[in-house]
Amino acid sequence: MKKPIIKKKIILVIEDERPLLQVVNSRLKKKGFEIISARSVDQVFDSGLKKKGLNIITASSIKQALEYLENLERIDAIWLDHNLFGKENGLDLVKKLKANGGRWNKIPIFVVSNTESNKTIKSYSDLGISKYYVKSNHKLDDIIKEIKLTLDGSIF
Amino acid sequence: MKTYKTNNSENYDIALKLEVLAREKESTRRKLVITAKELALTAKEKEKARQKLVIIARQLAVAAREKERTRRKLEVTARALKKLHETLEKKVLERTEDIERIRSKNEAILASIGDGLVVVDKGGKITYLNRSFEEMLGWNTKEIIGKSMVQVVPREDQNGIKVSFKERILTQVLSGQKFVADLTNPFYYVRKDKSRFPTSSIVAPVVLGGEIVGAVEVFRDITKEKEIDKAKTEFVSLASHQLRTPLSTVNWYSEMLLAGDAGRVTPNQKKYLEEIYRGNQRMVDLVNTLLDVSRIELGTFIAESKPTNIIELVQDVIKEYSQQIDKKKIKFSSVFGKNIPLIQVDPKLIGMAVQNILSNAVKYTPTGKKIGVSILLDGKNILLEISDTGYGIPKEQQSKIFTKLFRADNVVGKDTVGTGLGLYIAKSVLEQANGKIWFISEENKGTTFFVNLPIGKHKK
Repeated sequence: MKKPIIKKKIILVIEDERPLLQVVNSRLKKKGFEIISARSVDQVFDSGLKKKGLNIITASSIKQALEYLENLERIDAIWLDHNLFGKENGLDLVKKLKANGGRWNKIPIFVVSNTESNKTIKSYSDLGISKYYVKSNHKLDDIIKEIKLTLDGSIF
Repeated sequence: MKTYKTNNSENYDIALKLEVLAREKESTRRKLVITAKELALTAKEKEKARQKLVIIARQLAVAAREKERTRRKLEVTARALKKLHETLEKKVLERTEDIERIRSKNEAILASIGDGLVVVDKGGKITYLNRSFEEMLGWNTKEIIGKSMVQVVPREDQNGIKVSFKERILTQVLSGQKFVADLTNPFYYVRKDKSRFPTSSIVAPVVLGGEIVGAVEVFRDITKEKEIDKAKTEFVSLASHQLRTPLSTVNWYSEMLLAGDAGRVTPNQKKYLEEIYRGNQRMVDLVNTLLDVSRIELGTFIAESKPTNIIELVQDVIKEYSQQIDKKKIKFSSVFGKNIPLIQVDPKLIGMAVQNILSNAVKYTPTGKKIGVSILLDGKNILLEISDTGYGIPKEQQSKIFTKLFRADNVVGKDTVGTGLGLYIAKSVLEQANGKIWFISEENKGTTFFVNLPIGKHKK
């Protein structure tokens, strides 16, 4: 009897600290996820193209970048740090994603950051995210467990 | 009448004539008598009239004298009035000069007030503005006097969205509405040159004879204050991020090592790794606590009050410690009063305070001893008691219990950890909510902490 092919869930991990990015990616892979990672907002839109070995085509608009991503990858969840390389931070990315609507609006976003400012947390929750974690207050496995639960319960 | 026999008709004629004469004489005599009587009467009347005239003449004389006296009095009065008039004129002049001086002084004061000042009439039209207004907003008095303040000076929120006429505080105050200030949202005034600055303003109605005849607004440019606030928040935010990042790295890598992610660990290696993990956790707790303290001290902790069920709040905190309580075999009891009303507090902050107190009770109570929690209504307050039969606080050190980083000597020796900041934070948070915290304790007998929270309104 043919075993049903279970597609692995793909998580987009955006974290600027290299050691943290590595340990998160490694653990997520161990727990059965596929990873696309980036360390800045710009990289998010480059990453999908890089993976396929294409030259980086500068998208002339966010819309275009999303179209590329749309066609190349299916993303099931986003692991997002607030402080990132480059000028833009996690909040800017969420704004950009939400502004483009469609399926980008429905992807669960998990913000895992060491910033605890009430203002920042409120900004994220106003835009609509799944959960906000203060990194140093949680075990890595606990966060991954919750992400899994959310995804298993969702239509993705 | 003699009747003579005279010779005849001559004598008779004479006799007749004499009779006629006599009769005429009599008649004349009678007439004269009447006339005399009449004259006498007339004379009497004349005399009466004369006497009346004399009286009248005397009266006239008296009246004339009175008139003269009155005339003299009037003269005196007239002179006095003239003098008074001159004095009054002088006084009015002096008073006018005084008023003018005071007015100039007031004008000078109003003009020199560092804050912007604008006075509007009932219709919201500008009737007065001071120099600071001109300088802050770039308008000249002549340009905008008599115009609508709300139209001349637009008010915007942070995102540049204009506040409508209806929503302007000025409009609301002029229509008699009680205005409730929204302190969390920064507002901006737009200058003549379309640039803007953050403002803090107070508007009050001008009431005369029970009627609103206008309004006065005083406003300030709070750019500097906002910058300082921003710097404070950013400092705490930066500090928290910088401190927590390496801690997270150690946390997760130790966790992964312990989970065997980098290969199997021997039991000994596991022990060492667990110590690393535990030590790191203490750092995380310390950093979290220090950040709370700095937020309290810098005043960047904004309380978000909402109606809170204090019993539920405390029960949630107890749940967090139930595992530790069971592990230490502590006998736990609780009493919750009935009809405890909801209170307007920030549940996160009060929860933090309660957690700090309960955490101490659990930490400093040895195995097998007791901890009790009760919530009761006490007049206009809610009284929370957390008591334990643990180590207690030595008498000589009780006065320092609420100070930063203080830990009593008797627990430093025992196998417990603590930052010495928990009660400082609890006290700051509770006092900000207009509550009180105090305790009674005896070394080796136990401690009871009391928390009082008023049911009424709290200061921000």
